[in-house]
Amino acid sequence: METAVLYELLRMLISVVLVVAFVFINALIMGYLERKISAHIQRRPGLMEVGPHGILQLVIDGLKLIGKQLIVPKDADRTLFRAAPLLSFAPVVLPLIVIPFSPKLQVRDFDVGLIFILAISSLNVLAILMAGWGSNNKYSLFGAMRSVAQNISYEIPMLLSLLAVILMTNTFSMQGIVQAQGKIWFFLVQPVAFLIYIVASFAETNRAPFDLPEAESELTAGYHTEYSGMGFSLFMLAEYANMFVVCSIATVLFLGGWHGIPLPFGAYSGAIWFFIKAYGLMVFMIWVRWTYPRTRFDQLMNFCWKYMIPFALVNLLVTAVLVKL
Amino acid sequence: MHRTESFAQSLRKLSLELQEVDFAQRGYHAEILLTADTLRDFARLMLEAEYFLVFMSAVHMSPAIELVYQFAQFNSQSRILGRLFLDADGVVPTISDIFQGSNWHEREVKDFFGIVFQDHPNLEPLILPEGSEDLKPLLKEEDKLKSCQEVSWQPAEAEGENEAAEPSGSEKS
Amino acid sequence: MPELTKISQPHRFFLNMGPQHPSTHGVLRVLLEMDGEYIIEPQPVLGYGHRMQEKLAECRTCTAFMPNTARMDYAAALPYNHGYAALIERMAGIEVPPRAEYIRVITSELNRIASHLLWFGALLLDLGAFTPILYSFDDREQILDILEDITGSRLTYCYFRVGGVSKDIDDKFVERTRAFIKRLRQRFDIFEKLVTGNVIFINRVKGVGIIDADMCRRYGATGPVARGSGIPYDVRKNQPYSVYSEFDFDIPVGENGDSLDRYMVRMREMEQSLRIIEQALDKLPEGPYRGKIPKKIKLPAGDCCFSVEAARGELTYYLVGDGSDVPYRLKIRVPSYSNLSVLPELCRGMLLSDLVAAMGSLDLVIPEIDR
Repeated sequence: METAVLYELLRMLISVVLVVAFVFINALIMGYLERKISAHIQRRPGLMEVGPHGILQLVIDGLKLIGKQLIVPKDADRTLFRAAPLLSFAPVVLPLIVIPFSPKLQVRDFDVGLIFILAISSLNVLAILMAGWGSNNKYSLFGAMRSVAQNISYEIPMLLSLLAVILMTNTFSMQGIVQAQGKIWFFLVQPVAFLIYIVASFAETNRAPFDLPEAESELTAGYHTEYSGMGFSLFMLAEYANMFVVCSIATVLFLGGWHGIPLPFGAYSGAIWFFIKAYGLMVFMIWVRWTYPRTRFDQLMNFCWKYMIPFALVNLLVTAVLVKL
Repeated sequence: MHRTESFAQSLRKLSLELQEVDFAQRGYHAEILLTADTLRDFARLMLEAEYFLVFMSAVHMSPAIELVYQFAQFNSQSRILGRLFLDADGVVPTISDIFQGSNWHEREVKDFFGIVFQDHPNLEPLILPEGSEDLKPLLKEEDKLKSCQEVSWQPAEAEGENEAAEPSGSEKS
Repeated sequence: MPELTKISQPHRFFLNMGPQHPSTHGVLRVLLEMDGEYIIEPQPVLGYGHRMQEKLAECRTCTAFMPNTARMDYAAALPYNHGYAALIERMAGIEVPPRAEYIRVITSELNRIASHLLWFGALLLDLGAFTPILYSFDDREQILDILEDITGSRLTYCYFRVGGVSKDIDDKFVERTRAFIKRLRQRFDIFEKLVTGNVIFINRVKGVGIIDADMCRRYGATGPVARGSGIPYDVRKNQPYSVYSEFDFDIPVGENGDSLDRYMVRMREMEQSLRIIEQALDKLPEGPYRGKIPKKIKLPAGDCCFSVEAARGELTYYLVGDGSDVPYRLKIRVPSYSNLSVLPELCRGMLLSDLVAAMGSLDLVIPEIDR
């Protein structure tokens, strides 16, 4: 009995370290991808200096950010200002615990896995609000207010679209949802829900064309205007990890998770398929960001309340009726 | 436009007179001598006649500072230069409530020349920083100041030019 | 700021937009009284890039002031060169050879296109689209390369001289310009597909920042701003200078005077500029590129003005001479100054995001306003 507890503790420790490490690695990969893809979209080479094709640039950037001074504005609320980046970091690490990368590669499979993720990731709003309020900067506060309004609004269609899938699987367990897609992936069964989820996830992660909280041409940099060094990079890490989380959820719920044509990597092929799908979605998000202009705030809200929520509700109703039949 | 009879009539009511000048030499079609009393009525007339204010500025000369108002029209070739010589008391009414564009021009003239426009809504420094009210950078120093005659077209010359300008002027209108 | 020292209602607050702000394009500061995201009262604060060019003009000979003209509107410096050179020529009665006039027109129009391409990218950047600016800069770079070859500089040109231009154009220039015209015509399709048809873009600019014809008249707004409001006013047509009367070109106008109309006007203006350049290249006469001018240019006593159509509207130089070679007084009427003065009336009650879109569509160059 004692060894079992010890074993479990060790397992937890290792997985937490791995998850945190993954958040950093993910930021490196995404930072590189974003800069390289945006560069090619804009017909320029992008990163080329450090390492072959600038692969090591992000490492250097990370070191630089660590070395930077942490500046706290004079009239800022020091506690809130310092705590906000940490708080934004925590809720993006926790969801990774329940995400099933492959049939076996998963830290924990909760019965309420999906609810756990959604509950935790809403905490991110709090961090942004703290950062905006704590900075004592009007632009930051603008960004924070926009972010809160936007994230809370878009959580509704997001949840409704996910609920449609849950009605079909009858389980909140992430592993269970993936297993239910053995025959057909749900984005074929639930195309409306998939579309709504993708649009809402852009808003949830504050990515263009819904990047109003950090709209640099209006609000300089929104809620992280006053942050420097690691404070700023924690927000960036959180943003990229957040992207990974929403794309993972999309992969699990709509794209069949780790299902895929068997690859010659044995047990790893599931995980490889999962990462291909998740990163494919993230590349899609990058593509959209560097193509479209930004929407206006009232347009964004109108779109949510007047189009997305009614559609999501109708979709949910139709699903419920069809499942019952 | 400025050559029509009705326009000339309205000007006569204000006891103002338009003088045609040679466009090829001066770049404007007509000039008019304004006074502080007639300025606002003249501006209203110009607004009714669908002119817009190209610019207004000032030239420092002795004995008085000259204010220059240039008006032009969007739909015809007509450029009118209004001149206003400041009285000894230096009082000029604002036209910023008639031509809102002159608001900033008048503030700029206040910055550079220190001329105060009566009833202007906000004569704070626009281009110069606050607290530079005494700078008046475009006022000439004593030794560089020229008299009005020295910086005006010589009358004899201008008269000859005027007659020459007549045909070209009428063809344009 | 003076008009705004008191907040009229307790929940309102001030927002300082600028002097360092990504979408004020330079060092414009707009002091905003805000009610949430709504602007109650915007007040531009100028002068951060002020150099007192008008005083500088009084301190040197009239020909020595030529480089300064390019330092005002650095995005389209050649029309500024053009206006000043033509002003001195008008005052001193100097004849310009026809070839020089043609070269002036060609280079000015190239510069106008470069300026509009810069504006195109900057407006989209203001609206949050990062990519178009790099596409438009690709084309702008071509113009800068072409102009660099003959003028010697890439941005602040001092190419025109009193009586002509400083250097003749050669066959290489003509060839490259023709190639560029062909290239840009194809690029318009890309811009059209990438931007003009985009629903987010249309929603951001349509009906935003409406300036009507009456407002243009009261504020003296000219250039694409006035044309967007349906006023077909263009100094090149209304009061033809140089050799513009010899070319066949249209003045695009808008209907509603919103940001979208101003956008469309500028996009179509680039096509018209291409037409002018094409015709000018076809008709380009042989001959000297610089006329005979006296060693010392004496400005007669009297005042004189010259208006040209700069990239942003009507540019008028007003010069008072005193018989010497130094101007007694030079007033420079810059288009952006009047165009920006519309802002308080235009943006009252707007959302902050719309202010950015409206200001972007006015195409402001701040050093030009501050002079």
